[in-house]
Amino acid sequence: MFKFAIKNMAIKKVKIVLIVISIVISASVALLAYNISEQVDDGFKSTAEYYDIIIGPAGSSTQLAMNTMFFTDKPLGTISYEYVEELRADMRINAAVPFTMGDSYNGAKIVGTEPFFLENKTLAEGEMFGEKFECVLGSAVAKKYGLSLGDELITSHGLAEGGHAHESNPLRVVGILKQTNTSYDNVIFTAVETVWATHDHGGEEEHAEEEHVHDETCDHEHEEHGEICAILVKTKSFNHYNAVKTEYGADSKLLVINPSEVLREVLENVDMSSKIVYILCVIILIMNIFIISVITLLNMYDSKKEISLMRLIGIGMSKINLLYILQNGIIGLISTILAFATSRLCLILMGEFVASMGIVLNSARVYPLELAIMALIFTISVIPTVVCTLNMSRKDGLSD
Amino acid sequence: MIKTTNLSKHFQNETAIDYRDLVFEDGKSYMLLGASGCGKSTLLNMIAGILSPETGSIEIGGEEMTSRSQKEKDKFRINKIGYIFQDFKLIPEMTVIDNINILKLEKVDTSAADEVLESLGILDKKNKKVKHLSGGEKQRVAIARAIVKKPDIILADEPTGNLNFAIGEAVIKQLIEISKGKTLIAVTHDERLGKYFDCTIDMNEVTGGRRDV
Repeated sequence: MFKFAIKNMAIKKVKIVLIVISIVISASVALLAYNISEQVDDGFKSTAEYYDIIIGPAGSSTQLAMNTMFFTDKPLGTISYEYVEELRADMRINAAVPFTMGDSYNGAKIVGTEPFFLENKTLAEGEMFGEKFECVLGSAVAKKYGLSLGDELITSHGLAEGGHAHESNPLRVVGILKQTNTSYDNVIFTAVETVWATHDHGGEEEHAEEEHVHDETCDHEHEEHGEICAILVKTKSFNHYNAVKTEYGADSKLLVINPSEVLREVLENVDMSSKIVYILCVIILIMNIFIISVITLLNMYDSKKEISLMRLIGIGMSKINLLYILQNGIIGLISTILAFATSRLCLILMGEFVASMGIVLNSARVYPLELAIMALIFTISVIPTVVCTLNMSRKDGLSD
Repeated sequence: MIKTTNLSKHFQNETAIDYRDLVFEDGKSYMLLGASGCGKSTLLNMIAGILSPETGSIEIGGEEMTSRSQKEKDKFRINKIGYIFQDFKLIPEMTVIDNINILKLEKVDTSAADEVLESLGILDKKNKKVKHLSGGEKQRVAIARAIVKKPDIILADEPTGNLNFAIGEAVIKQLIEISKGKTLIAVTHDERLGKYFDCTIDMNEVTGGRRDV
């Protein structure tokens, strides 16, 4: 029967290819829409959960959260490093990690921090930065610019390409992070002291010789020694979190935020957009169910003459049923697999595009509901066959 | 032996045909003649189990057929009856051999296909698509599919209807030749072909035409 099914499909190859393409297009759109909305949501939540508090200069909460969590946007300004020392001396604090940003390498942002900032990340090769002017690369940066251990990077001032080059203070690559499929892949990490040393004007001859113009994204404004853009804080308990947040929040020069709360607010602010995305996903899915059912039914109606012929020569309805379930099952299976592959390919292509915006899409990520969608696509490519053949079996072979 | 008793068939256009009782003996060939609509094809379809009569019964080899389920009728047809349709009922996009091998779906032995195609003079067309064959060749493929399973009964509904007389006559001769020892019932409009059959039945006399219901 399988051999005959394949032969019967082969004689309608153009029609079957068109059917498969129609199913693949509609099904991959549903898979892609759902996967992207889930990954963006998950990415926001998991990144924000690591630290309790972020302290930065007064300004926009969203900007501070997005800058320190996803390295997007520009820093709000600077605060004194003394806050870090003060927090570290506080018994209520588990960790206080400095964060600064203001330079870049070919557009890849450079974050000045401490090795603890990368505590939950793994090195693919090399070691963590320790000395001044050592740096660790995000995997995408290393790949994009073909960098390896020992390479020296001439960084430039500002967060966009074309800033003033820090030629006398190149960064040496000592480590490359394993791919994380997060915004960390797109960033270069170095010690906060490196950033200070790079911007120590006494040590930079070129600064004395020429007047450089900052681009608009550069907001770290010639950091003095001891100036940083933000502090990421982990408290020991919920009570400590509340107390620390209240205390530092009282300082009018500072902005104290809970990153989870801010990102939740951001998500709530765009709640209507995400609801629209979900509604669109549901509409796409319903349309897909309709389209695929119609395609399958039309395919079956096209086969009516053939089915009638088989019945007249004496082939039983059970065999005919099996034959068409097998044929449409093969079409459904191939379409489902291709739809999945197409959605992953789109994720890879879109991933490269959106990575620069701090959103990293993992093409290997599969959600249970995606499997359910695929099962549904396969089912609806077979169910109408059964309905149609059952309907035909109620009539005599001459009716069709 | 095929025996029909008190057969009648009603149609959706609110007409009906009543049949006189008929007997078709084993190993003989019968030609059913008659005007269009007098019930020739309907009789073949009822014998084949494709249509069910409103009244009466059909006995084949002493077994009552009309009360059987559709599944049983289908099984009987695939195993015991070779049916040749006027419009061939072939899948045009498939090859000659694939059109015969379609019977394998019901586990029918088609190993004699080459031999049958050879006897019908179309073995060289075995791997050609049916759509590329002439009308006479298509009719021979339909005959080959009907007889490859070595049925006891061969029913032919206007087997020469789409062919000119010369080709039609050749097809009938071949059909008679390969049906030897089997019961052959063929419907045709052409009285000239009657000489090749053992018996000719005028269906106008058997049914008296259609009546309103």
